[in-house]
Amino acid sequence: MTKKLTKIRFFLDYEKEEQWVNEMCLKGWHLVKFGVGNFKFVKGEPGEYIYRNEMITSLGKKDNSKEYISFLNETGVELVAQFGPWAYFRKKFSEGPFELYSDTSSKIQYLNRIIYLFVFFALINFFFGFSNSLNFDSNFTRGIGIANFIAALLITFPLIIVFKRRKALKSNLDIFHD
Amino acid sequence: MIQHPPLTEGVYYILLSLYEPRHGYGIIQLTEQLTNDRVKLGAGTIYGAIKTLLDKGWIKPVDDDGRKKEYIITSTGKEMIEYEILRLKELYDNGIRITRGDND
Repeated sequence: MTKKLTKIRFFLDYEKEEQWVNEMCLKGWHLVKFGVGNFKFVKGEPGEYIYRNEMITSLGKKDNSKEYISFLNETGVELVAQFGPWAYFRKKFSEGPFELYSDTSSKIQYLNRIIYLFVFFALINFFFGFSNSLNFDSNFTRGIGIANFIAALLITFPLIIVFKRRKALKSNLDIFHD
Repeated sequence: MIQHPPLTEGVYYILLSLYEPRHGYGIIQLTEQLTNDRVKLGAGTIYGAIKTLLDKGWIKPVDDDGRKKEYIITSTGKEMIEYEILRLKELYDNGIRITRGDND
């Protein structure tokens, strides 16, 4: 029987999360499923895979994720699991380095996609946070309003991280055409 | 001749790879081979670039019979490559002339 392990973890930075998933793999725990703050692993060969996460849906565009996933499959990249807009992919370590984005321009484009989606959800939650908190007739609605504010804050932190990351990449483009 | 900004290394090698019909993995492999593993194109990078190049009409899909989608460069795409080669030659020639000091 395969050994299983579930871990509860919360990350504000999706890159730190990815790093942790790879550290788990080095210890012989392969990610197979994930959700809000929970990660399911099965026992396997230590360091067999390199894992990468990606936000694969984008705002205001038709959903190409199936096409994208099959494109990745053709290049030897395996979809591990999908949850909401996020997906985890992996490739055998023995097949060499594995990055989804290899140059600065495409990395910035990817960060822009994350920023659009995060800003959209943050604004929606701020908006409902205000409109719900100002409802003095119902404590329940005001409670929802507070939840909206918390959600908006929880999106704002990673958003700041992504903005900083994009700024660092953009300064690269001042000298390098990549 | 119309001026264009420089192509990224990735786009340059994607376009070169598509002088013959190739799918995504074929582009990655040829680019690694041509650059002795220096340029390793990420699948996400190629996917995004292919979408953009299709929109611009620099490449087109080959009528596919099977599962893997192949693409080929168009005449507009070839013009872009020709222009880029001239630009790179100018960079190269100027660089050699000035660094080797025979700019008399």
